[in-house]
Amino acid sequence: MERRAFLTATLLVPVAALAQAPAAPPPPTIAGQGANGALSAFLRIAADGSVTLLTTTSELGQGTHTAHAQIVADELGCALSAVRVEVGQPEPALRLAGVNEMYTGASFGIRAWAPRLRRGAAAARTVLVQAAASRLGVPEAELVATEGQVRHAASGRSIPFGELVEAASRLPLPEMPAMKAASERRISGSSAPRFDIPAKTRGAATYGVDVRLPGMLFAVARLPEVFGAELDSFDAAPAMAIPGVVRVVPIPRGVAVAANSTWAAMRGAEALVVRWKATPHDGLDSAGVSARLHAALAQPEAQRPKNDGDWEAVRAAAARVVSATYEVPYLAHAPMETENATVRINGDRAEIWAPTQHQDWCVRDVGQALGIPPANVTMHSTLAGGGFGRRLHVEIATQAAVVARATGRPTQLLWRREDEFAQGYYRPAFAARMEAALDAQGRVTGFAIRGAGGSVMADYRPALMRNPAFVDPFALQSVADTRYRFGQAFRAEYARVDLPPKNWLWRSVGSSQYGFFVESFLDEVAHAAGKDPLALRRELLAHDARALTVLNTAAERGGWGTPLPAGRHRGIAYMEAYGSLCAEVAEISITSGELRVHKVTVAFDCGDVVNPDTVAAQIQGSVVWGLSSMKHEKITLKNGRAEQRNFDSYRVARIDEAPVVETHIIRSGQPLGGVGEPAVPPLAPAVCNAIFAATGRRIRQLPLEGQPLS
Amino acid sequence: MIDVTINGQATRVDAAPDMPLLWALRDVLNLTGTKYGCGIAQCGACTVHVDGQPARACQTALSDVAGKRVTTIEGLHPAGAHPLQQAWIAHQVPQCGYCQSGQIMSAAALLRDTPRPTDAQIDEAMAGHICRCGTYQRIRAAIHHAAQG
Repeated sequence: MERRAFLTATLLVPVAALAQAPAAPPPPTIAGQGANGALSAFLRIAADGSVTLLTTTSELGQGTHTAHAQIVADELGCALSAVRVEVGQPEPALRLAGVNEMYTGASFGIRAWAPRLRRGAAAARTVLVQAAASRLGVPEAELVATEGQVRHAASGRSIPFGELVEAASRLPLPEMPAMKAASERRISGSSAPRFDIPAKTRGAATYGVDVRLPGMLFAVARLPEVFGAELDSFDAAPAMAIPGVVRVVPIPRGVAVAANSTWAAMRGAEALVVRWKATPHDGLDSAGVSARLHAALAQPEAQRPKNDGDWEAVRAAAARVVSATYEVPYLAHAPMETENATVRINGDRAEIWAPTQHQDWCVRDVGQALGIPPANVTMHSTLAGGGFGRRLHVEIATQAAVVARATGRPTQLLWRREDEFAQGYYRPAFAARMEAALDAQGRVTGFAIRGAGGSVMADYRPALMRNPAFVDPFALQSVADTRYRFGQAFRAEYARVDLPPKNWLWRSVGSSQYGFFVESFLDEVAHAAGKDPLALRRELLAHDARALTVLNTAAERGGWGTPLPAGRHRGIAYMEAYGSLCAEVAEISITSGELRVHKVTVAFDCGDVVNPDTVAAQIQGSVVWGLSSMKHEKITLKNGRAEQRNFDSYRVARIDEAPVVETHIIRSGQPLGGVGEPAVPPLAPAVCNAIFAATGRRIRQLPLEGQPLS
Repeated sequence: MIDVTINGQATRVDAAPDMPLLWALRDVLNLTGTKYGCGIAQCGACTVHVDGQPARACQTALSDVAGKRVTTIEGLHPAGAHPLQQAWIAHQVPQCGYCQSGQIMSAAALLRDTPRPTDAQIDEAMAGHICRCGTYQRIRAAIHHAAQG
């Protein structure tokens, strides 16, 4: 046990790179330079001066495309309106360092890309200025790139970028170009309207499911209801009898029905008679899942990536030990656009259109399915109707390729909502046991936690798990690396539980459950010690000015400690995830047993900000996401399958539950942190801590729905 | 063949009468602004107007709209500049945007019947819609903005 814990601790470091932005971004590539005005792999300037940014992330609604354009416009020296954004192809310059893949996740969109895009744009500006210097016969130092031109102030002459690009594209790009100081930035750092929004108000935005190609077919998948069940046999005849159905095609893990409309394909998929093979878990239900989690909390074996001090000794010496067990269910992402992909095959080449978060895996899988190299597959990254991590799963790409090959026509494959809910890829169900040691003065002298649940990394990147000493970085995310100091001992353990539903990355991943666990438990500790919950957190963060600023900002702006109207109560929580620090104060009331969250005050430090309004939007959305899962969401299991198959049974928050969200962005100047995820984890504990303040009832299990509050 | 007036245009739709309006719009007429989200009238992403009233296109058979006027997001305003569309841009409402066609269509019906809605009236009129991105606060603000415009 101890030896194993030691091994896991030493191996945690390189792996953590997956969850952290690269410290030193590599220089911009010069691949692709020189043709068609290409001034790096991701910048092209046309003769008319328009700038095309071939960017690296999918637009899922998080706004990174506009933010990337802001960065480039600022550093290049042109108007934001001159920049057009497209998603590039998977190639070295557009891949994330470390894993060497092009994907959108881990709140990397800005924190990983801002430095590289900035440097690429600065390199492009440098060669434009060099080209202008040579043409004007003046020193580079006398020239300034601004408003899409290179200007020579002394002579009043200027040359538009479009006239310089041909000469500039023949010059070598500097690897370490001079970059503008932050004080010189005019576009990045201020709110700018998002490029993608006007079309989204007119029904004119193209999502994956909106792709229309000449001669295309519409296909719908029929997939298993029991998790992981394999196809045994099927009878296509009832589907073929539906008017409009063209073909029935076996696909990996199921059957697809291709037709001349989605409706005909849906009817065909329903009409199919499909038999699935029995699985060992055909009888599994939620009680069985829960029993496995609790057994893992009690078992001797666990990985122990954090083990500071002698917890057992501290525990034995404690004047008081507070302990509690928490549990959360499986959760679905349920993005509004269900899984889909469209594939067109042309000889030994293919194209895929998909609302994906992972370009490299899409082209890899289409290539494998068709027996062609990935380089022969063109990726069209459409807008996505939500992602939240779900679209890092790309099984649909293989399935769509198989169907398109069978039909011989361009084919769009769609999963029905019911099938999507049934396929797993959930935030894993999880339980945690926590203990805190207090001395006679009520000071925390030690903290121990064990989490038990499925391993996200084991399903996301199984190759990493071949090393038995490897610790899934999501398994104790935001806990093992917390800024809190718990006195003399801090032990964090993970007991992995393998269950049939696939585990997946769900907005804020491991931090989503640990926010609820740890921050609710600290509230318990505060009350046990007779302390204000804010005061306890201040003690645990007393050494950390940055964290204190975040905590104090939320407390002050949220009115912590000030009088409330009758019936109103507050709760507070803090967590760091994806390099950003976030504290939230929730203000609630409970009337006739009904919870109402009136207002959530958020303090958020992501280092620096590119587009403040987008950051605010992400925080507002994160609060609703956190509230929805806290109040309503759960996937329960019965007979080896999900009981929730659509929005009638998988309830999510609607507008009549949405609180007012007040956002305070702190620009600490620290390294960039993520934006899309870190405001999720503090919401559930802030609200549940307010529920405790209101009722004295401690919520240790989610969702809240079904637990009486009166 | 079903005759329908779609976005002001007399249209003869070549599709089965029991095909939901949603799929006729999307797959037959290439009007893809109306979205599939659940297929069971729970999410509101497919909301259109039938004779001016908001309707869930996933639960409306093509035969149900024979001889009627159907308005989709593409036809809400000839230039896409309905006060709500402008307010949606002013308040930067959409994130992923997938639900917003339906949200805007319901909001348009609300404002026609209730030109100055309260928060409670907005909540009641819009609670049939799901936005997983959680843009609700901005939807409220944009509806108020359009109402005051």
